[in-house]
Amino acid sequence: MFKLSSEGIDFVKKEIERYETRRSAIIPCLYRVQKENKGWVPPEAVAELSQLMDLPEAWINEILNFYTMFNKEPIGKLHVQVCCNISCCMNGGRELASHLNKEFGVQGNEISKDGNVTITRVECLGSCDTAPMMQVNDNYYENLTPEKAVSVIKELM
Amino acid sequence: MPKCTINGQEVEVKEGATIIEAFKKMSEDIAHYCWHPGLSVAGVCRLCMVDVEGARGPQIACNTVVREGMVITNQSEQIKDIVRWGMDFHLINHPLDCPICDQAGECGLQEQYMKFGKYDPEMGLQKVKKRKVVDLGERVVLDSERCILCSRCVRFTDEVSKTNELGIFNRGDRSEIGTYKDKPLNNKYSLNTVDICPVGALTSKDFRFRQRVWYLKNADTICNGCSTGCSVKTYYNEEGLFRVKPNHNEDVNGYWMCDEGRDLYKFANKESRLLKAKKFDGSTWEEVSAGSAVKSLSHQLLETIKETPSKVAVVYTGQFTNQEYADSLKSFDGLGVNNFYHWMNNQASKDEFDGLLIRGDKNPNTKGLQNEASKFSGLKKLENLFNELESGNIETVFVMAPENISAYPEYESHFKALSKAKNFIWMGANQTSCYESTNSSNTYLIPLKSYVEKSGTFTNHNGTDQNFNYVTTLVAGALTLSEAMTLFEGQDLDFEIRPKIYKTMKNNHFTSDRGEL
Repeated sequence: MFKLSSEGIDFVKKEIERYETRRSAIIPCLYRVQKENKGWVPPEAVAELSQLMDLPEAWINEILNFYTMFNKEPIGKLHVQVCCNISCCMNGGRELASHLNKEFGVQGNEISKDGNVTITRVECLGSCDTAPMMQVNDNYYENLTPEKAVSVIKELM
Repeated sequence: MPKCTINGQEVEVKEGATIIEAFKKMSEDIAHYCWHPGLSVAGVCRLCMVDVEGARGPQIACNTVVREGMVITNQSEQIKDIVRWGMDFHLINHPLDCPICDQAGECGLQEQYMKFGKYDPEMGLQKVKKRKVVDLGERVVLDSERCILCSRCVRFTDEVSKTNELGIFNRGDRSEIGTYKDKPLNNKYSLNTVDICPVGALTSKDFRFRQRVWYLKNADTICNGCSTGCSVKTYYNEEGLFRVKPNHNEDVNGYWMCDEGRDLYKFANKESRLLKAKKFDGSTWEEVSAGSAVKSLSHQLLETIKETPSKVAVVYTGQFTNQEYADSLKSFDGLGVNNFYHWMNNQASKDEFDGLLIRGDKNPNTKGLQNEASKFSGLKKLENLFNELESGNIETVFVMAPENISAYPEYESHFKALSKAKNFIWMGANQTSCYESTNSSNTYLIPLKSYVEKSGTFTNHNGTDQNFNYVTTLVAGALTLSEAMTLFEGQDLDFEIRPKIYKTMKNNHFTSDRGEL
């Protein structure tokens, strides 16, 4: 069962002071949980945050379920997000995504067998001028070809 | 006080009032789901569109403040078309399962659909399937598919009950309302979310599938669950009462009522009522009609009481109308009786208040009883009567028993204790098994009417007199306290004082009345 670290708890306490309303601190706090829990937010974290932040569970759950940036299920060590929005799509974003799926033997949002990679298709990441592109964990990799993408991921593994 | 023109008629509204409030003030029709007068403005359903002269385009009426001289209409072809299309969007994922939906007949969506709907939707895609029959605790059931995401229920739990259980989860066409991990919605006001739900997404466990609403008639009365005295509407047919809903009353309950109050129709229904008077002479019980029971009681006891009024005690509870108190106190006073006792339940918690509506005094008319009794010899504490009974100073006890026995946990033990009197007359609306164990060899059980079967006045916690009218007859043989006392004094009942139940039955009123949005 997930529990925030003591630094995490301090972070949450500082964060709720930072905004005009405590409700505004939900997103940074959920990000903190996601960071501490290998890239995903477990459902029990909602109850923990609700207690820490003194906010209703429903409010935190609303935010958690609304944003796709919060992963509600376990993901691999590398979270590869391939942009499939219009500019990337025109430059082969979808083909890139299917190539990566085939290369690492995964489908949809599942984790590869070695636990290293999860590949998801996402909407615009705001880097249209360098399409096609992908985001691996926190970093952008741009102007990709399928081969280049595979080698980037393999290097990071 | 700005003036504006609504569909050609001029109206003056409060400073800061919105256009939809002006429409409501004029009783003009305007389509809306998310707006509710008791909640904040959400502006999400986009149906209350109006044309404001000089504005760039159509505006939503619920979130536009009236300014001086605005000329507003929702009758133009353009607005009608917008509403029609808005409806179509609401219906993209709404299952049209009205024939099996419990809300049918009082459904906002159904009503607007009949009025504005494009009967042939142009949406070719499959509807998104969502969860059905989600158990949300003791009283509420959720059907996510039917929900149109108006967010009224979410705002209710955020703003009124302040319990924050409900939220809108997920995004886009997968959005649905719910509680975190389906936790039960067990706040004390949860059924208000069912009332304000414009569709059949939230339904009441107690009421669902028991009656079609168009077979029910409704009438206004006062809730007798506690000393707040909420204005309520009861729904009934010839079989009895089926549910209770709040009526808007700004001074007392706003738009809401508590869940507890909604169960109070149950004790008034035939199943839990004393249908006939019962006499016990020490060995056998005899069932007679209420009127003849009181008359024989009168024959037997009236003279004795007049001779020795000090040996008579009368026990009152705070569940009768002011008129009944006045009549019966006057009758007893006329006979010389001045031992009046007050049976107060939950003495310790009677001053509690939860900040919204629920009060600890579970009687509708404690104030009224105290007021009326103070005009005579006042009320004594019931504990004193038990001592008097032990010492034999009291021989005859009249008890005006409560209707709402769920608020009287000591009902049975008090029945047994008080029945130690030589002559024991128990007047009440309910049937319970404890009556068999009476200690008195001269026991009378007189059936009384419940609060929906009589007209009268309750005085609530802050002294406001609230009148209410007769709703329906459930037990034809029962008497009001006033009627019982008239008979006891040896007079006949003037038939005129009975409610004229036949007057309203000229046309079949059980089929003509629909619920309201």
